[in-house]
Amino acid sequence: MQEPVKGTVTPLASLFPPEEAQKASKRVQDALADRQSELDRLQGFIADNTALVNLVQRLPDELHHDIMVPFGKAAFFPGRLVHTNEFLVLLGEGYYAERTSKQTVEILDRRGKALESQVDSLKAMMKDLKAEVSFFDATAAEAVEGLVEIREDYVEESSSERVIERGPPKPDSPRFSGEDSMKVAAEDEEYARMMLRFDELEKEELAAGSGDEHDEDEHNEADVDHSLSQLSGDHVLGSLEERQVRKPLHHSKDEYATTEELLSKQHFEEDFANQLKSKIQLEGLKEQSVPKDSDDVSHGKSFANRATQSSSHGKDNIQALPTSKAETSVQSSKPATDSLKAFTGSIVEHTRNIQMNPREQAASSSQSSGSQPTKPVSRFKMQRR
Amino acid sequence: MASSSSSAAMRELQRELETKANDLSKLQKDISKNHQVRKKYTIQLGENELVLKELDLLREDANVFKLIGPVLVKQDLAEANANVRKRIDYISAELKRLDATLQDLEEKQNSKKEAVFKLQQKIQALQPGKAKA
Repeated sequence: MQEPVKGTVTPLASLFPPEEAQKASKRVQDALADRQSELDRLQGFIADNTALVNLVQRLPDELHHDIMVPFGKAAFFPGRLVHTNEFLVLLGEGYYAERTSKQTVEILDRRGKALESQVDSLKAMMKDLKAEVSFFDATAAEAVEGLVEIREDYVEESSSERVIERGPPKPDSPRFSGEDSMKVAAEDEEYARMMLRFDELEKEELAAGSGDEHDEDEHNEADVDHSLSQLSGDHVLGSLEERQVRKPLHHSKDEYATTEELLSKQHFEEDFANQLKSKIQLEGLKEQSVPKDSDDVSHGKSFANRATQSSSHGKDNIQALPTSKAETSVQSSKPATDSLKAFTGSIVEHTRNIQMNPREQAASSSQSSGSQPTKPVSRFKMQRR
Repeated sequence: MASSSSSAAMRELQRELETKANDLSKLQKDISKNHQVRKKYTIQLGENELVLKELDLLREDANVFKLIGPVLVKQDLAEANANVRKRIDYISAELKRLDATLQDLEEKQNSKKEAVFKLQQKIQALQPGKAKA
Protein backbone atom coordinates (compact mmCIF):
# COMPACT_ATOMS: atom_id res chain seq x y z
CA MET A 1 0.00 0.00 0.00
CA GLN A 2 1.15 3.57 -0.60
CA GLU A 3 2.34 5.57 2.34
CA PRO A 4 0.06 8.65 2.17
CA VAL A 5 -3.09 6.59 2.39
CA LYS A 6 -4.33 6.78 5.95
CA GLY A 7 -7.90 5.65 6.06
CA THR A 8 -9.87 2.49 5.79
CA VAL A 9 -13.02 2.04 3.82
CA THR A 10 -15.58 -0.35 5.16
CA PRO A 11 -18.84 -0.89 3.41
CA LEU A 12 -21.59 -0.38 5.91
CA ALA A 13 -23.25 -3.48 4.61
CA SER A 14 -20.39 -5.64 5.94
CA LEU A 15 -20.74 -4.17 9.42
CA PHE A 16 -24.51 -4.26 9.50
CA PRO A 17 -25.95 -6.61 6.92
CA PRO A 18 -29.19 -5.16 5.61
CA GLU A 19 -31.17 -8.28 6.48
CA GLU A 20 -29.93 -8.13 10.05
CA ALA A 21 -30.79 -4.48 10.36
CA GLN A 22 -34.22 -5.15 8.97
CA LYS A 23 -34.66 -8.03 11.36
CA ALA A 24 -33.72 -5.82 14.26
CA SER A 25 -36.10 -3.16 13.07
CA LYS A 26 -38.85 -5.77 12.81
CA ARG A 27 -38.25 -6.92 16.35
CA VAL A 28 -38.36 -3.43 17.72
CA GLN A 29 -41.50 -2.78 15.76
CA ASP A 30 -43.08 -5.85 17.34
CA ALA A 31 -42.17 -4.54 20.75
CA LEU A 32 -43.64 -1.23 19.76
CA ALA A 33 -46.89 -2.92 18.71
CA ASP A 34 -47.02 -4.64 22.11
CA ARG A 35 -46.63 -1.33 23.84
CA GLN A 36 -49.29 0.16 21.61
CA SER A 37 -51.83 -2.50 22.56
CA GLU A 38 -50.93 -2.00 26.20
CA LEU A 39 -51.46 1.71 25.75
CA ASP A 40 -54.86 1.07 24.17
CA ARG A 41 -55.80 -1.11 27.11
CA LEU A 42 -54.82 1.60 29.55
CA GLN A 43 -56.74 4.20 27.57
CA GLY A 44 -59.76 1.92 27.80
CA PHE A 45 -59.32 1.75 31.58
CA ILE A 46 -59.13 5.49 31.77
CA ALA A 47 -62.31 5.87 29.74
CA ASP A 48 -64.07 3.35 32.00
CA ASN A 49 -62.83 5.17 35.04
CA THR A 50 -64.10 8.56 33.91
CA ALA A 51 -67.46 7.06 32.96
CA LEU A 52 -67.68 5.49 36.40
CA VAL A 53 -66.81 8.76 38.05
CA ASN A 54 -69.63 10.44 36.17
CA LEU A 55 -72.10 7.74 37.19
CA VAL A 56 -71.06 7.78 40.83
CA GLN A 57 -71.36 11.52 40.93
CA ARG A 58 -74.87 11.38 39.49
CA LEU A 59 -76.29 8.56 41.58
CA PRO A 60 -76.91 10.40 44.85
CA ASP A 61 -78.79 13.13 43.00
CA GLU A 62 -81.94 11.05 43.42
CA LEU A 63 -83.23 9.20 46.46
CA HIS A 64 -83.79 6.11 44.33
CA HIS A 65 -83.38 4.96 40.75
CA ASP A 66 -85.53 2.60 38.77
CA ILE A 67 -83.27 0.10 37.09
CA MET A 68 -83.27 -3.28 35.42
CA VAL A 69 -81.47 -5.74 37.64
CA PRO A 70 -79.48 -8.42 35.81
CA PHE A 71 -80.61 -11.87 36.86
CA GLY A 72 -78.39 -14.66 35.62
CA LYS A 73 -76.89 -14.28 32.20
CA ALA A 74 -79.85 -13.50 30.06
CA ALA A 75 -82.62 -12.19 32.27
CA PHE A 76 -83.41 -8.84 33.83
CA PHE A 77 -86.16 -7.77 36.15
CA PRO A 78 -87.22 -4.31 37.13
CA GLY A 79 -85.89 -3.04 40.43
CA ARG A 80 -85.09 0.04 42.34
CA LEU A 81 -81.77 1.38 43.62
CA VAL A 82 -82.03 2.78 47.12
CA HIS A 83 -79.30 4.03 49.48
CA THR A 84 -77.84 5.90 46.56
CA ASN A 85 -75.05 7.38 48.62
CA GLU A 86 -73.60 4.12 49.88
CA PHE A 87 -70.92 2.40 47.87
CA LEU A 88 -68.90 -0.69 48.49
CA VAL A 89 -65.67 0.00 46.72
CA LEU A 90 -63.24 -2.71 45.74
CA LEU A 91 -59.80 -1.50 46.74
CA GLY A 92 -58.06 -4.49 45.24
CA GLU A 93 -56.85 -7.83 46.58
CA GLY A 94 -60.35 -8.65 47.75
CA TYR A 95 -60.64 -5.69 50.08
CA TYR A 96 -63.80 -3.62 50.02
CA ALA A 97 -64.59 -0.44 51.85
CA GLU A 98 -67.89 1.29 52.49
CA ARG A 99 -67.75 4.78 51.05
CA THR A 100 -69.99 7.65 50.16
CA SER A 101 -70.29 8.94 46.63
CA LYS A 102 -67.84 11.75 47.25
CA GLN A 103 -65.27 9.50 48.84
CA THR A 104 -65.67 7.03 46.01
CA VAL A 105 -65.02 9.72 43.48
CA GLU A 106 -61.85 10.62 45.35
CA ILE A 107 -60.68 7.03 45.19
CA LEU A 108 -61.48 6.84 41.51
CA ASP A 109 -59.62 10.06 40.86
CA ARG A 110 -56.54 8.69 42.53
CA ARG A 111 -56.84 5.59 40.42
CA GLY A 112 -57.15 7.72 37.30
CA LYS A 113 -53.97 9.54 38.23
CA ALA A 114 -52.11 6.28 38.67
CA LEU A 115 -53.34 5.19 35.25
CA GLU A 116 -52.26 8.44 33.71
CA SER A 117 -48.74 8.15 35.07
CA GLN A 118 -48.61 4.65 33.61
CA VAL A 119 -49.72 6.00 30.26
CA ASP A 120 -47.05 8.67 30.39
CA SER A 121 -44.27 6.21 31.10
CA LEU A 122 -45.59 3.97 28.34
CA LYS A 123 -45.59 6.84 25.91
CA ALA A 124 -42.01 7.71 26.79
CA MET A 125 -41.05 4.10 26.17
CA MET A 126 -42.80 4.12 22.83
CA LYS A 127 -40.96 7.26 21.85
CA ASP A 128 -37.67 5.54 22.56
CA LEU A 129 -38.72 2.51 20.57
CA LYS A 130 -39.79 4.65 17.65
CA ALA A 131 -36.42 6.34 17.61
CA GLU A 132 -34.82 2.90 17.64
CA VAL A 133 -36.97 1.75 14.74
CA SER A 134 -36.11 4.76 12.65
CA PHE A 135 -32.45 4.24 13.45
CA PHE A 136 -32.53 0.62 12.36
CA ASP A 137 -34.47 1.50 9.24
CA ALA A 138 -31.98 4.20 8.36
CA THR A 139 -29.11 1.80 8.90
CA ALA A 140 -30.75 -0.81 6.73
CA ALA A 141 -31.41 1.70 3.99
CA GLU A 142 -27.86 2.96 4.12
CA ALA A 143 -26.47 -0.54 4.00
CA VAL A 144 -28.61 -1.35 0.98
CA GLU A 145 -27.50 1.82 -0.76
CA GLY A 146 -23.91 0.65 -0.43
CA LEU A 147 -22.79 3.41 1.84
CA VAL A 148 -19.18 3.03 2.91
CA GLU A 149 -17.60 4.14 6.13
CA ILE A 150 -14.32 5.99 5.69
CA ARG A 151 -12.11 6.11 8.71
CA GLU A 152 -8.80 7.79 9.08
CA ASP A 153 -6.58 8.91 11.90
CA TYR A 154 -6.71 12.53 12.76
CA VAL A 155 -3.22 13.96 12.33
CA GLU A 156 -2.35 17.54 13.14
CA GLU A 157 -1.28 18.54 9.66
CA SER A 158 -2.36 20.71 6.84
CA SER A 159 -5.42 19.28 5.24
CA SER A 160 -3.79 19.12 1.82
CA GLU A 161 -1.71 16.17 2.94
CA ARG A 162 -4.71 14.09 3.74
CA VAL A 163 -5.77 11.70 1.08
CA ILE A 164 -9.14 10.21 1.36
CA GLU A 165 -9.25 6.77 0.07
CA ARG A 166 -12.06 6.13 -2.30
CA GLY A 167 -12.97 3.39 -4.68
CA PRO A 168 -13.84 -0.24 -4.28
CA PRO A 169 -14.04 -1.38 -0.66
CA LYS A 170 -11.38 -3.75 0.57
CA PRO A 171 -12.84 -6.02 3.16
CA ASP A 172 -9.56 -7.61 4.26
CA SER A 173 -7.46 -4.51 4.44
CA PRO A 174 -4.34 -4.90 6.58
CA ARG A 175 -5.16 -1.82 8.57
CA PHE A 176 -8.41 -3.31 9.67
CA SER A 177 -6.81 -4.32 12.96
CA GLY A 178 -6.20 -0.72 13.96
CA GLU A 179 -9.82 0.00 13.45
CA ASP A 180 -10.68 0.75 17.02
CA SER A 181 -8.29 3.63 17.45
CA MET A 182 -9.42 4.99 14.12
CA LYS A 183 -12.97 4.70 15.25
CA VAL A 184 -12.27 6.97 18.19
CA ALA A 185 -10.54 9.49 15.97
CA ALA A 186 -13.39 9.42 13.52
CA GLU A 187 -15.86 9.96 16.30
CA ASP A 188 -13.91 12.94 17.54
CA GLU A 189 -13.93 14.42 14.12
CA GLU A 190 -17.60 13.75 13.80
CA TYR A 191 -18.18 15.51 17.09
CA ALA A 192 -16.17 18.51 16.00
CA ARG A 193 -18.15 18.72 12.80
CA MET A 194 -21.38 18.49 14.71
CA MET A 195 -20.31 21.26 17.04
CA LEU A 196 -19.39 23.47 14.10
CA ARG A 197 -22.78 22.88 12.57
CA PHE A 198 -24.45 23.68 15.88
CA ASP A 199 -22.52 26.90 16.06
CA GLU A 200 -23.69 27.89 12.63
CA LEU A 201 -27.27 27.12 13.45
CA GLU A 202 -27.04 29.05 16.67
CA LYS A 203 -25.71 32.04 14.81
CA GLU A 204 -28.60 31.90 12.42
CA GLU A 205 -31.00 31.64 15.27
CA LEU A 206 -29.36 34.57 16.92
CA ALA A 207 -29.60 36.65 13.79
CA ALA A 208 -33.25 35.77 13.44
CA GLY A 209 -34.14 36.48 17.03
CA SER A 210 -31.74 39.38 17.44
CA GLY A 211 -34.57 41.85 17.85
CA ASP A 212 -35.98 40.24 20.96
CA GLU A 213 -32.67 39.51 22.46
CA HIS A 214 -31.54 43.03 22.06
CA ASP A 215 -34.44 44.24 24.02
CA GLU A 216 -33.71 41.80 26.79
CA ASP A 217 -30.04 42.56 26.90
CA GLU A 218 -30.59 46.23 26.73
CA HIS A 219 -32.95 46.06 29.63
CA ASN A 220 -30.34 44.21 31.62
CA GLU A 221 -27.78 46.76 30.69
CA ALA A 222 -30.14 49.56 31.43
CA ASP A 223 -30.66 48.20 34.93
CA VAL A 224 -26.99 48.08 35.61
CA ASP A 225 -26.44 51.48 34.18
CA HIS A 226 -29.15 52.93 36.26
CA SER A 227 -27.67 51.65 39.47
CA LEU A 228 -24.11 52.53 38.60
CA SER A 229 -24.30 55.97 37.19
CA GLN A 230 -27.88 57.11 37.79
CA LEU A 231 -28.53 57.34 34.12
CA SER A 232 -32.09 56.95 33.04
CA GLY A 233 -32.57 53.57 31.41
CA ASP A 234 -34.84 54.95 28.75
CA HIS A 235 -32.36 57.54 27.73
CA VAL A 236 -29.67 54.94 27.35
CA LEU A 237 -31.94 52.77 25.35
CA GLY A 238 -32.99 55.54 23.03
CA SER A 239 -29.55 56.85 22.30
CA LEU A 240 -28.21 53.39 21.92
CA GLU A 241 -30.75 52.41 19.38
CA GLU A 242 -30.26 55.55 17.39
CA ARG A 243 -26.56 55.10 17.13
CA GLN A 244 -26.93 51.49 16.33
CA VAL A 245 -29.15 52.22 13.42
CA ARG A 246 -27.02 54.99 12.11
CA LYS A 247 -23.59 53.48 11.86
CA PRO A 248 -23.18 49.95 13.04
CA LEU A 249 -20.05 49.28 11.03
CA HIS A 250 -18.28 52.26 12.42
CA HIS A 251 -18.98 51.03 15.90
CA SER A 252 -17.57 47.69 15.23
CA LYS A 253 -14.34 49.26 14.02
CA ASP A 254 -14.24 51.33 17.15
CA GLU A 255 -14.64 48.37 19.28
CA TYR A 256 -11.92 46.45 17.53
CA ALA A 257 -9.59 49.25 18.33
CA THR A 258 -10.70 49.06 21.92
CA THR A 259 -10.10 45.37 22.12
CA GLU A 260 -6.67 45.71 20.65
CA GLU A 261 -5.77 48.15 23.29
CA LEU A 262 -7.20 45.85 25.86
CA LEU A 263 -5.11 43.03 24.68
CA SER A 264 -1.93 45.03 24.64
CA LYS A 265 -2.24 46.35 28.16
CA GLN A 266 -4.48 44.42 30.42
CA HIS A 267 -5.07 47.02 33.08
CA PHE A 268 -5.88 49.82 30.79
CA GLU A 269 -9.56 49.44 30.93
CA GLU A 270 -9.75 49.76 34.68
CA ASP A 271 -8.40 53.30 34.59
CA PHE A 272 -10.44 53.93 31.56
CA ALA A 273 -13.51 52.71 33.34
CA ASN A 274 -12.88 54.84 36.35
CA GLN A 275 -12.37 57.97 34.39
CA LEU A 276 -15.09 57.66 31.82
CA LYS A 277 -17.53 55.47 33.56
CA SER A 278 -20.77 56.56 32.06
CA LYS A 279 -19.34 57.07 28.63
CA ILE A 280 -17.77 53.70 28.37
CA GLN A 281 -20.94 52.12 29.57
CA LEU A 282 -22.57 53.47 26.51
CA GLU A 283 -19.70 52.20 24.47
CA GLY A 284 -20.02 48.83 26.08
CA LEU A 285 -23.68 48.75 25.26
CA LYS A 286 -23.06 49.44 21.66
CA GLU A 287 -20.27 47.01 21.46
CA GLN A 288 -22.24 44.34 23.11
CA SER A 289 -25.19 44.55 20.83
CA VAL A 290 -23.59 45.50 17.57
CA PRO A 291 -21.48 42.39 16.94
CA LYS A 292 -24.54 40.27 17.29
CA ASP A 293 -25.97 42.03 14.31
CA SER A 294 -22.93 42.25 12.15
CA ASP A 295 -21.56 38.98 13.35
CA ASP A 296 -22.16 36.96 10.27
CA VAL A 297 -21.06 39.67 7.92
CA SER A 298 -18.02 41.14 9.53
CA HIS A 299 -16.50 38.42 11.53
CA GLY A 300 -14.97 36.69 8.55
CA LYS A 301 -12.82 39.53 7.35
CA SER A 302 -12.32 41.74 10.34
CA PHE A 303 -11.42 39.00 12.74
CA ALA A 304 -9.33 37.17 10.23
CA ASN A 305 -6.14 38.88 11.24
CA ARG A 306 -6.11 38.16 14.90
CA ALA A 307 -8.75 35.59 15.33
CA THR A 308 -7.16 32.92 13.20
CA GLN A 309 -9.99 30.53 13.69
CA SER A 310 -9.78 29.29 10.15
CA SER A 311 -9.67 25.57 9.90
CA SER A 312 -9.94 23.30 12.87
CA HIS A 313 -12.36 23.36 15.72
CA GLY A 314 -9.60 22.50 18.12
CA LYS A 315 -7.96 25.81 17.40
CA ASP A 316 -11.23 27.49 18.13
CA ASN A 317 -11.27 25.99 21.55
CA ILE A 318 -7.76 27.00 22.32
CA GLN A 319 -8.53 30.45 21.20
CA ALA A 320 -11.60 30.70 23.29
CA LEU A 321 -9.79 29.82 26.46
CA PRO A 322 -7.43 32.75 26.86
CA THR A 323 -10.23 35.07 26.01
CA SER A 324 -12.38 33.89 28.84
CA LYS A 325 -9.42 34.10 31.17
CA ALA A 326 -8.95 37.67 30.21
CA GLU A 327 -12.57 38.21 30.98
CA THR A 328 -12.32 36.82 34.45
CA SER A 329 -9.30 38.95 35.13
CA VAL A 330 -11.18 42.10 34.27
CA GLN A 331 -14.47 41.05 35.76
CA SER A 332 -14.54 44.05 38.02
CA SER A 333 -15.12 46.51 35.22
CA LYS A 334 -18.22 45.87 33.24
CA PRO A 335 -17.40 47.77 30.05
CA ALA A 336 -14.26 45.75 29.56
CA THR A 337 -16.14 42.51 29.52
CA ASP A 338 -18.52 43.93 27.06
CA SER A 339 -15.88 45.06 24.67
CA LEU A 340 -14.27 41.70 25.04
CA LYS A 341 -17.56 40.21 24.14
CA ALA A 342 -17.34 42.05 20.89
CA PHE A 343 -14.15 40.23 20.23
CA THR A 344 -15.52 36.85 21.19
CA GLY A 345 -18.86 37.44 19.65
CA SER A 346 -18.24 34.80 17.06
CA ILE A 347 -17.32 32.12 19.50
CA VAL A 348 -20.85 31.25 20.50
CA GLU A 349 -22.61 29.67 23.42
CA HIS A 350 -20.02 28.57 25.96
CA THR A 351 -18.27 31.89 26.14
CA ARG A 352 -21.50 33.77 26.07
CA ASN A 353 -22.65 31.95 29.15
CA ILE A 354 -19.54 32.98 30.93
CA GLN A 355 -20.02 36.49 29.77
CA MET A 356 -23.43 36.66 31.27
CA ASN A 357 -21.86 36.00 34.61
CA PRO A 358 -19.74 39.04 35.25
CA ARG A 359 -22.59 41.25 34.32
CA GLU A 360 -24.86 39.41 36.64
CA GLN A 361 -22.37 39.68 39.42
CA ALA A 362 -21.90 43.34 38.80
CA ALA A 363 -25.62 43.83 38.94
CA SER A 364 -26.09 41.83 42.11
CA SER A 365 -23.16 43.42 43.87
CA SER A 366 -24.19 46.93 43.03
CA GLN A 367 -27.86 46.50 43.70
CA SER A 368 -27.32 43.88 46.36
CA SER A 369 -30.43 42.18 45.10
CA GLY A 370 -30.32 38.51 45.91
CA SER A 371 -32.54 37.62 43.01
CA GLN A 372 -29.73 37.41 40.48
CA PRO A 373 -28.26 33.95 40.22
CA THR A 374 -24.48 33.93 40.38
CA LYS A 375 -23.99 30.51 38.93
CA PRO A 376 -23.91 30.06 35.16
CA VAL A 377 -27.29 30.58 33.65
CA SER A 378 -28.21 29.28 30.27
CA ARG A 379 -29.00 31.80 27.60
CA PHE A 380 -32.51 30.49 27.33
CA LYS A 381 -33.16 31.05 30.97
CA MET A 382 -31.87 34.54 30.65
CA GLN A 383 -34.25 35.27 27.89
CA ARG A 384 -37.22 34.14 29.82
CA ARG A 385 -36.84 36.76 32.47
CA MET B 1 -9.44 -45.37 8.47
CA ALA B 2 -9.02 -41.77 9.36
CA SER B 3 -12.38 -40.89 7.97
CA SER B 4 -14.19 -43.56 9.97
CA SER B 5 -12.53 -42.48 13.24
CA SER B 6 -13.26 -38.85 12.52
CA SER B 7 -16.85 -39.66 11.69
CA ALA B 8 -17.14 -41.49 15.00
CA ALA B 9 -15.78 -38.46 16.79
CA MET B 10 -18.17 -36.40 14.78
CA ARG B 11 -21.13 -38.47 15.91
CA GLU B 12 -19.93 -38.20 19.49
CA LEU B 13 -19.68 -34.44 19.22
CA GLN B 14 -23.04 -34.16 17.60
CA ARG B 15 -24.68 -36.14 20.39
CA GLU B 16 -23.00 -33.93 22.94
CA LEU B 17 -24.18 -30.87 21.12
CA GLU B 18 -27.70 -32.14 21.12
CA THR B 19 -27.78 -32.73 24.86
CA LYS B 20 -26.24 -29.35 25.50
CA ALA B 21 -28.74 -27.67 23.24
CA ASN B 22 -31.55 -29.42 25.08
CA ASP B 23 -30.20 -28.22 28.40
CA LEU B 24 -29.96 -24.73 27.04
CA SER B 25 -33.53 -24.67 25.81
CA LYS B 26 -34.68 -26.00 29.17
CA LEU B 27 -32.84 -23.18 30.91
CA GLN B 28 -34.38 -20.67 28.59
CA LYS B 29 -37.80 -22.03 29.34
CA ASP B 30 -37.11 -21.68 33.05
CA ILE B 31 -36.02 -18.13 32.57
CA SER B 32 -39.13 -17.19 30.65
CA LYS B 33 -41.25 -18.86 33.33
CA ASN B 34 -39.39 -16.88 35.93
CA HIS B 35 -40.12 -13.72 34.00
CA GLN B 36 -43.82 -14.49 33.89
CA VAL B 37 -44.02 -15.20 37.59
CA ARG B 38 -42.11 -12.05 38.31
CA LYS B 39 -44.45 -10.02 36.19
CA LYS B 40 -47.41 -11.43 38.10
CA TYR B 41 -45.84 -10.61 41.43
CA THR B 42 -44.94 -7.12 40.33
CA ILE B 43 -48.53 -6.47 39.36
CA GLN B 44 -49.74 -7.83 42.70
CA LEU B 45 -47.26 -5.67 44.52
CA GLY B 46 -48.54 -2.60 42.73
CA GLU B 47 -52.13 -3.51 43.57
CA ASN B 48 -51.29 -4.09 47.20
CA GLU B 49 -49.53 -0.81 47.45
CA LEU B 50 -52.58 0.89 45.99
CA VAL B 51 -54.79 -0.87 48.57
CA LEU B 52 -52.48 0.14 51.36
CA LYS B 53 -52.58 3.74 50.23
CA GLU B 54 -56.38 3.70 50.19
CA LEU B 55 -56.57 1.99 53.57
CA ASP B 56 -54.30 4.61 55.02
CA LEU B 57 -56.64 7.28 53.75
CA LEU B 58 -59.70 5.68 55.37
CA ARG B 59 -61.00 6.97 58.64
CA GLU B 60 -60.85 4.76 61.73
CA ASP B 61 -64.57 4.04 61.76
CA ALA B 62 -64.82 3.00 58.12
CA ASN B 63 -66.20 -0.43 57.37
CA VAL B 64 -63.78 -2.68 55.55
CA PHE B 65 -64.68 -6.04 54.10
CA LYS B 66 -62.62 -8.81 52.66
CA LEU B 67 -63.96 -11.06 49.97
CA ILE B 68 -63.29 -14.62 51.02
CA GLY B 69 -64.71 -17.03 48.51
CA PRO B 70 -68.31 -15.98 47.89
CA VAL B 71 -68.78 -13.97 51.10
CA LEU B 72 -67.75 -10.56 52.26
CA VAL B 73 -66.31 -10.75 55.75
CA LYS B 74 -66.17 -7.64 57.82
CA GLN B 75 -62.68 -6.83 58.94
CA ASP B 76 -61.10 -4.46 61.35
CA LEU B 77 -59.33 -1.62 59.57
CA ALA B 78 -56.16 -2.17 61.58
CA GLU B 79 -56.28 -5.86 60.86
CA ALA B 80 -56.75 -5.27 57.14
CA ASN B 81 -53.91 -2.80 57.17
CA ALA B 82 -51.59 -5.26 58.89
CA ASN B 83 -52.61 -8.00 56.47
CA VAL B 84 -51.85 -5.89 53.45
CA ARG B 85 -48.51 -4.86 54.86
CA LYS B 86 -47.61 -8.46 55.53
CA ARG B 87 -48.62 -9.36 52.02
CA ILE B 88 -46.44 -6.61 50.57
CA ASP B 89 -43.49 -7.82 52.61
CA TYR B 90 -44.06 -11.33 51.41
CA ILE B 91 -44.28 -10.30 47.78
CA SER B 92 -41.15 -8.19 48.01
CA ALA B 93 -39.26 -11.09 49.53
CA GLU B 94 -40.56 -13.35 46.81
CA LEU B 95 -39.48 -10.88 44.13
CA LYS B 96 -36.02 -10.75 45.63
CA ARG B 97 -35.81 -14.51 45.64
CA LEU B 98 -36.92 -14.62 42.02
CA ASP B 99 -34.28 -12.09 41.10
CA ALA B 100 -31.60 -14.23 42.67
CA THR B 101 -32.75 -17.35 40.85
CA LEU B 102 -32.99 -15.42 37.62
CA GLN B 103 -29.41 -14.30 37.95
CA ASP B 104 -28.35 -17.82 38.68
CA LEU B 105 -30.22 -19.12 35.67
CA GLU B 106 -28.76 -16.51 33.40
CA GLU B 107 -25.25 -17.38 34.49
CA LYS B 108 -25.94 -21.02 33.76
CA GLN B 109 -27.41 -20.09 30.42
CA ASN B 110 -24.36 -18.13 29.45
CA SER B 111 -21.96 -20.93 30.33
CA LYS B 112 -24.15 -23.38 28.41
CA LYS B 113 -24.21 -21.08 25.42
CA GLU B 114 -20.47 -20.91 25.45
CA ALA B 115 -20.18 -24.68 25.62
CA VAL B 116 -22.55 -25.07 22.69
CA PHE B 117 -20.61 -22.53 20.71
CA LYS B 118 -17.35 -24.35 21.35
CA LEU B 119 -18.88 -27.64 20.28
CA GLN B 120 -20.14 -26.07 17.09
CA GLN B 121 -16.69 -24.76 16.35
CA LYS B 122 -15.20 -28.20 16.93
CA ILE B 123 -17.66 -29.75 14.55
CA GLN B 124 -16.94 -27.13 11.95
CA ALA B 125 -13.23 -27.73 12.32
CA LEU B 126 -13.80 -31.42 11.74
CA GLN B 127 -16.11 -31.03 8.78
CA PRO B 128 -13.75 -29.48 6.19
CA GLY B 129 -11.12 -32.10 7.06
CA LYS B 130 -13.69 -34.77 6.38
CA ALA B 131 -14.67 -33.16 3.13
CA LYS B 132 -11.05 -33.20 1.98
CA ALA B 133 -10.44 -36.77 3.03
